[in-house]
Amino acid sequence: MSLSKAKLSRRKFLTLSGAALATATAASSLSSLKAVASSGTHSATTNSKGRKFVYSSCAICVNKCGLVAEVNNGVIRKLNPNPHFFKSRAMLCARGNAGAKVPYDPDRLKKPLIRVGERGEGKFKEVSWEEAYNYIAENVLKVIKKYENRSAIGFASTEGFQEEFFIHLANIVGSTNTVRHPTLCLASNIQGYSSVYGTYPDADILNADFVVMAGSNRAEAIITPDTIDMAKNHKKQTLVCIDPRATKTSAIADKWYPIKPGTDLALVLTMINIIISENLYDKEFVEKYTHGFAELAEHVKQYTAEWAEKECEIPASEIYWLAREFAKNAPQSVWYPGRRSSFYANDVYYRRACAILNAIVGAFDRKGGLVPKRGIKLKKHDFEFPLYDFTKKRLDAGALPFLDEKLPEEFKASAGLPTDSCAYISEKDGSWIVYRDAALAGNPYPLKGMFIYKQNPVESVPNRKKTVEFLKQMDFVCTIDVTMSDTAFYSDVVLPESTYLERWDPAESLGGIVPIVVTRQPVIDPLFDTKSMHQITVDLAKKFYDMPEFWEDSTEEDREYLKKYIKAVDVPMEHLVEESLSGYPGAFKMLMEKGVFYLNDKPVYGNLLKEGTRLKTRTGKIELYNVKYAERGLDPLPVYRKPSQGKPGQFRFVVGRHGQFTHASTQNNIYLLESYGDYENALWINSKVALERGLRAGDKVKVVSKAGEQIVKVMPTEFIRPDIVYYVHGFGRLSKGLSLVYNKGASEAAILYDYVETISGNACLHETFVDIQKV
Amino acid sequence: MSKKKYAIVLDDSKCIDCKACTLACKMENNVPTGLYNYRIWVAEKPVRGHFPNIKRSFQPSQCQQCENPPCVHVCPTKASYQTEDGVVLVDHDKCILCKYCMTACPYDARYESSNVHAIDKCTFCYHRLPEGREPACVETCPPKVRVFGDLNDPNSEVSKLLVEHETFTLKPEKGTKPKLYYIR
Repeated sequence: MSLSKAKLSRRKFLTLSGAALATATAASSLSSLKAVASSGTHSATTNSKGRKFVYSSCAICVNKCGLVAEVNNGVIRKLNPNPHFFKSRAMLCARGNAGAKVPYDPDRLKKPLIRVGERGEGKFKEVSWEEAYNYIAENVLKVIKKYENRSAIGFASTEGFQEEFFIHLANIVGSTNTVRHPTLCLASNIQGYSSVYGTYPDADILNADFVVMAGSNRAEAIITPDTIDMAKNHKKQTLVCIDPRATKTSAIADKWYPIKPGTDLALVLTMINIIISENLYDKEFVEKYTHGFAELAEHVKQYTAEWAEKECEIPASEIYWLAREFAKNAPQSVWYPGRRSSFYANDVYYRRACAILNAIVGAFDRKGGLVPKRGIKLKKHDFEFPLYDFTKKRLDAGALPFLDEKLPEEFKASAGLPTDSCAYISEKDGSWIVYRDAALAGNPYPLKGMFIYKQNPVESVPNRKKTVEFLKQMDFVCTIDVTMSDTAFYSDVVLPESTYLERWDPAESLGGIVPIVVTRQPVIDPLFDTKSMHQITVDLAKKFYDMPEFWEDSTEEDREYLKKYIKAVDVPMEHLVEESLSGYPGAFKMLMEKGVFYLNDKPVYGNLLKEGTRLKTRTGKIELYNVKYAERGLDPLPVYRKPSQGKPGQFRFVVGRHGQFTHASTQNNIYLLESYGDYENALWINSKVALERGLRAGDKVKVVSKAGEQIVKVMPTEFIRPDIVYYVHGFGRLSKGLSLVYNKGASEAAILYDYVETISGNACLHETFVDIQKV
Repeated sequence: MSKKKYAIVLDDSKCIDCKACTLACKMENNVPTGLYNYRIWVAEKPVRGHFPNIKRSFQPSQCQQCENPPCVHVCPTKASYQTEDGVVLVDHDKCILCKYCMTACPYDARYESSNVHAIDKCTFCYHRLPEGREPACVETCPPKVRVFGDLNDPNSEVSKLLVEHETFTLKPEKGTKPKLYYIR
């Protein structure tokens, strides 16, 4: 089939503007920059013994904590915390410390690989970068031609400083199908809070007097500065932990409520009712800044503490206490927004209720409450990527006939949830589960090629069997990673990326209550034949530029524009870093000398409460009652509905984080694995239940769900409710390239069922019920 | 003049068992991999109560840097010794791996290191101190459970903490006079 000039109208790229976190620069301004950049060295002090200290930032999780690498004769001796880096409170956690060994991991990918055996068999041959690029370019072209659709090639990635270049690659290939991590994480949270405030705020833990962590395990799911402020301040502030497991957060909490899973919304609505009916709310704030209070007050009357006691299994007296204390301490009160919030099918409504609770006590944009993030604007240039005729709109957006199957039974009808399309998925992030199902159904069109960067959907997206099928039905899969993830294992081409300690990364503004700018500079030279994502994008862009057939559904003008892009981006990264900071005199110097750039280290409150300021909501106010939702047929006020229930004898499977592991990416690090304390994971089951079922510590059980089954050893514990079970994420892996966790313990993705919260497109990670059988 | 007397004061109520200290120590001091190889650790105290009335808590620990160190007393080769400023160290070259010190230590603070072929344990990061740097565990700890300093300096943070707070030491009945103080 030839790409004969199609007569389709040009489609504007959905991912085009603002897609990149843009630090890249226009070609014209570079010549002068190069002179500046090459006039001095930016690395830190070196002494005669070849011992040097280099500022950079951690990349083992999302926090980007500041680090100072101690390097001896080109070998990393130790990563130390950067004392100037106040966002991470001058600390480095276990993962950050273990990062020192990441470049030296024997399981690292060292050369580009092309698959030689069956997909998933794990047989690859080492090739040169040139061979790998040729293979990729040919296959990309083949897919585009065969399906007459550039969007038939998908792009999956997760956050990271180099991700913008991966998104550039998607734009160059001409696909709209970028899918990112938020719908496996906090998409419903962002949607819920934004539907109330028009923004997703941070929590001012440092200054809060009363903090409620509900389903958020900050002691183990470390987020800086929140985790550290919470641990440091726990004697000064009241910390309430609400979680069906006694996590390490509960260890420092004043109170722990093992709530019945899925009933958090009942608790929050009841607290709102108590606060309103007892006149404990902030009348002045509510009047001045909110919309729909009267409707809210009427709506929540039905939710009494006595009713909630039965729903949530928390005593009514405690619910009264919680509501009254929350209001009493306001505005220094925080219902913590959490992160991985994709618990239940009604998650957006729950998050809306949490935001409303904070709003009625006036704890928004004030010291010690929820505070909108601020950022430091970096100089950015949005590129106008080529426009192709063969680009189609996202496959997971719009009406999809199978969507109601993605809802748990109880939520299919009249639950205020859309059943034909996701109401508010982000155009750049997509919805992972819907995306995969659309591809598997070939509806609305086949998705037959895939680029995957820094993400491991095989272990991070629920229902692993389906993800493997999704990869197996592809004509072509290219994964870019530092180790042979399970996803790389099922790929055709695997490109080895340089680790975060071996490369420059773009400067990035980290938004927060106090925003900062951070970058990465190489701590050591690359150890193997690896490249950064930045370089890979540039190299592939050149390849595509040179292929006339690639341009058959475009114009010569578009092709020439790519040349300009290459010229602008194919420069040393430090030049791009310097250019992006050029609006702030001395910023680059500060970044190099302190490992961080900031304008001010003090928080600012009340920006959105100033006279005449409109919030980014329809009414410009804090929407207790959401006008847009009402128009779309969604519940404008959060309505509680009973969560799904398992069959008798079944357990709800809950997920959770561990202080040593970042999702599925650090279990294969021997230092972290050992500090976790075991070489495999174990099923938490309530001691009493274990006794009843004749299960003793170390016994093996089969955990069976609708999605699959896993065998895992048992750990009876007092730290968990009798009606749920749990094991830590990231074990029982499929990739033989992860030598420490391959086939060890149990995988979470293999048993989690793939329901979707259909307002945001988020995965529902707590809607899986399992049977347990002794093996 | 004044000799130094190094000590660590810990507020373990802040500990979230993140194990940053254990890992920082492993990296700083070339401690080999292995589940039981470490100079410092975080223990979970015995659980109090039954679901749902339970309490979890943690206790980070390590070599107690005893003023009266049994490990030094029993060492036949003088490999274990005490510096002028009271820090207990092991001279790896003199160690014959007889493990008397391991038996003598009431805190189980020593392990056999395959990297140095000797018994190894916490040194308060003695090599860092001349550069004015703190022990790696102290530096890296997220909530700053540990505070390191000189007890002979009345203005040091550790001295102040000992005045401000009631503290206890581990196994005082052993008469070892530990220099790790836990805030009660």
